[in-house]
Amino acid sequence: MSENTSADGKKRGSVLIVGGGIGGMQAALDLAEGGFKVHMVQRDPSIGGLMSMLDKTFPTGDCAMCMISPKMVEVGRHPNINIMTMADVREITGIPGDFKVKVHHQARSVNPLKCTGCGECTRACPVRNIIRIPERPVPPALPPEWQTLLNETVEAYGGAATSLISMLQDINTRLRYLPQEMLSNLAFKLDLPESHVLAVATFYNAFSLTPVGRHVIEVCSGTACHVKGSRRMIDRLREQLAIEPGCTTKDDRFTLRTVNCIGCCALAPAMRVDGEVYGYVKISELPKILKDHP
Amino acid sequence: MEAVKSVEALESLRHNILASRDEKQAIITICCGTGCLSNGSLKVAAALKNALGRAGLEEKIKIKTTGCHGFCERGPITVIEPEGILYQAVGRKQLEKDVTDIVEALGKGEEPVTRLLYKELETKQTVTHYHDIPFYAKQRRVALRNNGIIDPKNIEDSLARGGYGSFAKALRMEPEQVIAVVKDSLLRGRGGAGFLTGQKWELCRRSQGFPKYLICNGDEGDPGAFMDRSIMEGDPHSVIEGMLIAAWAIAGGQGPIQGYVYVRAEYPLAVDNLTMAVKQAREHGLLGKNILGSGFDFDLTINRGAGAFVCGEETALIASVEGRPGLPRTRPPFPAQSGLFGKPTNINNVETYVNVPSILEKGSDWFKSIGADKNGGTKVFSLVGKVNYTGLVEVPMGMPIREVVFGIGGGIQGGKKFKAVQTGGPSGGCIPESLVDLPLTYEGLSQAGSIMGSGGMIVMDNETCMVDVARYFLGFVTEESCGKCTPCREGTRHMHDIMERICAGEGREGDIETLERMGKAIAAASLCGLGQTAPNPTLSTIKYFRDEYEAHIRDKKCPAGVCKALIKYRISAEACTGCGVCKRNCPVEAISGEKKAVHKIDEQKCVKCGACRESCKFDAVIIE
Repeated sequence: MSENTSADGKKRGSVLIVGGGIGGMQAALDLAEGGFKVHMVQRDPSIGGLMSMLDKTFPTGDCAMCMISPKMVEVGRHPNINIMTMADVREITGIPGDFKVKVHHQARSVNPLKCTGCGECTRACPVRNIIRIPERPVPPALPPEWQTLLNETVEAYGGAATSLISMLQDINTRLRYLPQEMLSNLAFKLDLPESHVLAVATFYNAFSLTPVGRHVIEVCSGTACHVKGSRRMIDRLREQLAIEPGCTTKDDRFTLRTVNCIGCCALAPAMRVDGEVYGYVKISELPKILKDHP
Repeated sequence: MEAVKSVEALESLRHNILASRDEKQAIITICCGTGCLSNGSLKVAAALKNALGRAGLEEKIKIKTTGCHGFCERGPITVIEPEGILYQAVGRKQLEKDVTDIVEALGKGEEPVTRLLYKELETKQTVTHYHDIPFYAKQRRVALRNNGIIDPKNIEDSLARGGYGSFAKALRMEPEQVIAVVKDSLLRGRGGAGFLTGQKWELCRRSQGFPKYLICNGDEGDPGAFMDRSIMEGDPHSVIEGMLIAAWAIAGGQGPIQGYVYVRAEYPLAVDNLTMAVKQAREHGLLGKNILGSGFDFDLTINRGAGAFVCGEETALIASVEGRPGLPRTRPPFPAQSGLFGKPTNINNVETYVNVPSILEKGSDWFKSIGADKNGGTKVFSLVGKVNYTGLVEVPMGMPIREVVFGIGGGIQGGKKFKAVQTGGPSGGCIPESLVDLPLTYEGLSQAGSIMGSGGMIVMDNETCMVDVARYFLGFVTEESCGKCTPCREGTRHMHDIMERICAGEGREGDIETLERMGKAIAAASLCGLGQTAPNPTLSTIKYFRDEYEAHIRDKKCPAGVCKALIKYRISAEACTGCGVCKRNCPVEAISGEKKAVHKIDEQKCVKCGACRESCKFDAVIIE
């Protein structure tokens, strides 16, 4: 923050720190030592954050608790620091130097001044292990032909979640890409987290999340093709089509890709257009090959 | 087709098939592997059929489409059986004439068509028969025994060649005996690491937990290797048979076992042929319940990969079969203890499985005797790059590299100078000319700083820049690193950045040392084989070609003329005839010159695409 004066020219001397992890605590201590009043807002019942859950830290292997606990005590004791646990920030208004912050404080229902942290109350409480999972929202409806494709595909593999990759392949082959809505619906149907389906769809090179052009050019960049000049081929195509590998031309005519090896090493340098292999490709032949695919 | 219910029934079926076939039947076989297909072999097959029809020879002469012959360089390969006359590059220039001539010569029983025969490179002598061609004569075919001979889509062809006979033999043996034979044969994992196959099976047999799983690793990701593809395309039944034997050895008499074949996404033909083979094997009762009446059950599912190199690593492959992103995990537990769905799992490479039937048929001593010390049998290499005859070659373990490159591959293209050979793909290293007499064994290659890998062998000449090759492999692993562990994800990226800088002429003193230090750290700290071996290409090229790195860094020169930022194109005034071909092919109009006068390249405009050099018939465009 470059300014610390407000609209009326007065300086405000307090700072709000959101989050009481190791970073927040260090910042609070530095500021508090520097003479600022610090308000620390932490969502959890205690400060300490993620580090208090760790054992050793990378790369030195130091014990996490040994580093963090002295700081926790110091923060708790510092007269300039006001800790607000079980609280979160709801609204921030104002300008740099003069903010107004609304903090939502949850009821603790325990008097912190008297509590010794013995834990007897948790042991005595009969209500436990109740997990409340919100109902899964239904994904947006698909166009009818996509819905049929989805149903057929899932059925073909008996709805087994382990066949996810094969299902994605079939959908990718039919639609030539994997639309977002399709993935949401597939995840819903297989009762898998959407993140899992997306993780698989983005991990493997065979899937495309964006529509591809009418013709897909795949330049083999296997070793044999590389030593015979496939890189120059890619450069030329890149210039001629004015796109980078992995992209589609504006008129949706070509998608340019590189593939690791199509196993046609004897025909190096090789490329594939819509699945058809071209061997011993010369740079000077490229314009003609492009022309043959309107 | 009725299912075969016993070993005896299988033998009598084989007998019937052989009896119905005439050994003297003239057959034209046409290679329909991926290489020859893209050279137009389907058109050749159709044209031959027409030509036979016209000549009225349809009854007399049969046409058969086979898998890969390995001699991809000269495709489409056509062989006339039973004489074994090999015609090369049929129909590449004049389809109709080639085909008509072949049919005519055959029909009249005349001499073969000379112009389509193989010619010796130096002596220009023609060679008529398949087995006399040096490319084939020096090979020893075990894994590729049926490739190019049988029609992969016809199970009868496979049965006629003894297919499933070794499995029938295994069924009469105790599973432990089968393991003992395989162990004794010194068959080692052909995926590259070279673990003893028999030992792997034994570990899996001893593990508790059912069902057990058997996986065939057909995720041939190494760029420049295509032997697994050719085997799956050309001889799928031998893969199935090898897996059946393994399944019996691992779970026979114990409990249920289920099989998976994981095939790379880029190999559609392999998926088709395997699917067809599995279907036929099921119809014949060779897969499914109670195989050959033995009470043993086994079936196969074919899984397509989805384009991730790391899935060749066994734990990543298992994750992928389970429908998850293919991230590897730490071992132990090894897949033999806890693999697919947490059950004992055995994973072998395609080539490993294909060797097994031959071992059972001919015995472990026979197999051992082919190879060298501690390395049983043969190994298929895909000999590619700047060599005259590229293709698949199968040689006994222990053959010197020189023999493969010069004896079988016919030396370097265009008579250029041999510089190095790269083995093991992105995990391997470059072996320089000084070590060219090294025997091809797991130990020999690793001593030289490379690995056997899946068998890619890329030959490089003096126009290959070793720095560029190392950068290429680093770029490859940077792309393919799954991102799970930091040394591999971050380390390879940083190494690649340094390499990019060196190739762009911005190398600094100390870069080589940094690369070496980082390489060692990545190799020591990565989680799986991909990261542990990722620095190999870089480290081995630094070891053997340090001067090239220094030329890039200190003199800002690329001795091989590959790195764009460090080269210039020039037209030689002596050689230029002013034909204008280069001018027409230049995409940026950087070449000027009147007809029949010496042309000139405008350095400001030149994008160094190389189109001029490639199209010049007089070698007038030179790189400086």
